[in-house]
Amino acid sequence: MLLEISDIHVHYGKIAALKGVSAEVDQGEIVTLIGANGAGKTTTLKTISGLRPLSAGRIVFDGQDISRMPGHKRVLAGIGQAPEGRGIFPGMTVEENLLMGAYARKGDVSKDLNEVYELFPRLAERKNQAGGTMSGGEQQMLAIGRAMMADPKVLLLDEPSMGLAPLLVQQIFSIIQEINRRGCTVLLVEQNAQQALQIADRAYVLETGRVVKSAAAHELLDDPEVRAAYLGGDLGEAAASTKVDGAPEPGSDEDTAADDTVVDDEVRKD
Amino acid sequence: MNLTKNHKGNGGSRAGRLSLDPVRDWWASAPREVRWIVYLLLVVGALVLPSESIGSFMAPSGSDWPTMLSDQIGIYVLLALGLNVVVGMAGLLDLGYVAFYAVGGYTIGIFATKYGWNFWETLLLAIVLASLSGVILGAPTLRLRGDYLAIVTLGFGEIVKQTAANSDYVNGPRGIQGIPHPPSLSEFEVLGVQPLKYGLLDSRPYYYMLVVFIVLTIIFVKRMENSRVGRAWAAIREDEDAAELMGVPTFRFKLAAFAIGAAIGGSGGVVFAAKQTSINPENFVFLVSALILASVVLGGSGNIPGVILGAFMLAWLPERFRELQDYRMLLFGAALVLMMVFRPEGLWPSRRRKAELEEGTGGMGGMGAEVAAPAAVGADVAGDAAEVKK
Ligand SMILES: Nc1ncnc2c1ncn2[C@@H]1O[C@H](COP(=O)(O)OP(=O)(O)OP(=O)(O)O)[C@@H](O)[C@H]1O
Ligand SMILES: [Mg+2]
Repeated sequence: MLLEISDIHVHYGKIAALKGVSAEVDQGEIVTLIGANGAGKTTTLKTISGLRPLSAGRIVFDGQDISRMPGHKRVLAGIGQAPEGRGIFPGMTVEENLLMGAYARKGDVSKDLNEVYELFPRLAERKNQAGGTMSGGEQQMLAIGRAMMADPKVLLLDEPSMGLAPLLVQQIFSIIQEINRRGCTVLLVEQNAQQALQIADRAYVLETGRVVKSAAAHELLDDPEVRAAYLGGDLGEAAASTKVDGAPEPGSDEDTAADDTVVDDEVRKD
Repeated sequence: MNLTKNHKGNGGSRAGRLSLDPVRDWWASAPREVRWIVYLLLVVGALVLPSESIGSFMAPSGSDWPTMLSDQIGIYVLLALGLNVVVGMAGLLDLGYVAFYAVGGYTIGIFATKYGWNFWETLLLAIVLASLSGVILGAPTLRLRGDYLAIVTLGFGEIVKQTAANSDYVNGPRGIQGIPHPPSLSEFEVLGVQPLKYGLLDSRPYYYMLVVFIVLTIIFVKRMENSRVGRAWAAIREDEDAAELMGVPTFRFKLAAFAIGAAIGGSGGVVFAAKQTSINPENFVFLVSALILASVVLGGSGNIPGVILGAFMLAWLPERFRELQDYRMLLFGAALVLMMVFRPEGLWPSRRRKAELEEGTGGMGGMGAEVAAPAAVGADVAGDAAEVKK
């Protein structure tokens, strides 16, 4: 197991936000964490990356107990996060933001920078723009790219599709898949359960600070309870893939998006 | 927003409207030699500043211009530069900065009068003690955020003052008298001034000493700003959690900002005490913290030229318009309010600062940002979480 969280409890003051969450993420997987608002998804990610302290439980990463390791050291250990609300540095340019992502690293990072620019050509076009003036979608790309700059073993993504137009959501999801193909393990928190489950290998369902279900992602897609709660019931599939703005079928949509933003797989696999 | 504008072109065009972008662009593209010439001119300007011809305009109503420069303006500029490290660079709202100034003043007060240390020895000690007190204040409080930090620092400022006022060791409210002037370094005379002879009558040598301190501070702070430390501070200021996620040891760097700011404030206190030869707790009231903070914010938090300008204005204007008597403070307050309404980024902000303000998140310690509940204080640095369980 690359990442193993066992029975973690986390409190905000006296309020328990996590009441014994356990989950595992294996090397190379995409694992998704779904759940209603306030279920504790963000808290789980923040605890893994060290922004919140544990009150009980254990986090083991890459064979090492990191439960008490300060957040900034976990970056070096290999945990990268694109936080909820993106957390872009508004006064820094796009490039400065990306370089901040590599802050903890030593040595030349120009290769990684180029890789991020390849993955997100939009960022390359806007290198010198202030992070705070980027659009929501662009900021999301920047947040993901910035997390990639630390060359993480696992990438924690907190609602990367929040507030994005359907087409852009597709793009972001295919980029996540691409990042995963290149060898980065992904732990994905999403409201957009339908899409998250489609790209994930496995999934956990969180409810008020507890894991209530864990299964292979495709099983959850067909699970009646999950469908009722997170996928809008039987209308779920239809609703999630409605063409609100007359966008093409999800399948084809995703393909074109991938072609647009991600450099061809073969070209870069080496 | 003209942030996308690149730094090319625009050479030398200095249409000085309210926007300072042309100046910034010109400066950004200015060759090295030009910059050095500008620096040199600024230093020369600072050195001729006490001259009578300038004084007749700056301080016409009888007050002594060189004294104004040394006792008010020079000190304010130095303190503002120090507080700027904390507020402008690391984004931590410190409302008790006067405490470190007091630590400096009382260090020389005690060690010079009771133990016979000379000025330079006490200066060194004051720098150490002030930064130590910065660390002592910072270690437990820097885990707090925004307004909470402001309140705690505010309290610290009062505690230091009250402690001094209630300690017989430092004569309580009467304070310490008979603090020696710095030993004269040389008697040499140039243009009717003996710039290295520190006496009672001539304020100019003290002013020159402050200029040297200010220049050293600027060089030091500038070097910091362009280093990994400066980048870390910028990241902390703009989004502390994100900074931690980038691998920035946020707590350590906030502590460093506090210590450095405190050291600069402490050195200001030493010069002040050596010039006045006496200090008392009333020299270290909250108003000083407030005015220094106002200098930083008004001038352009985070931008050194702006901060200097701000401190200069705040120290000088009330003195310049003494004839308005009580109204001057009223007008002064009104001017501050108007400034903040019409130019919230300050007189001379940095480009980055403007972007942060427009985004609305960057600022002083993320006011209103997530606040760790008391039991979970210390959350940022994974550590003693045990008691939370209780
Ligand atoms: N800073 C905080 N102080 C106090 N309580 C908090 C804080 N942050 C989160 N909580 C509480 O902890 C619980 C879990 O919050 P969390 O942000 O992890 O939810 P989430 O699953 O990410 O929700 P969403 O989908 O809305 O982002 C909620 O009940 C929330 O109110
Ligand atoms: Mg959340």
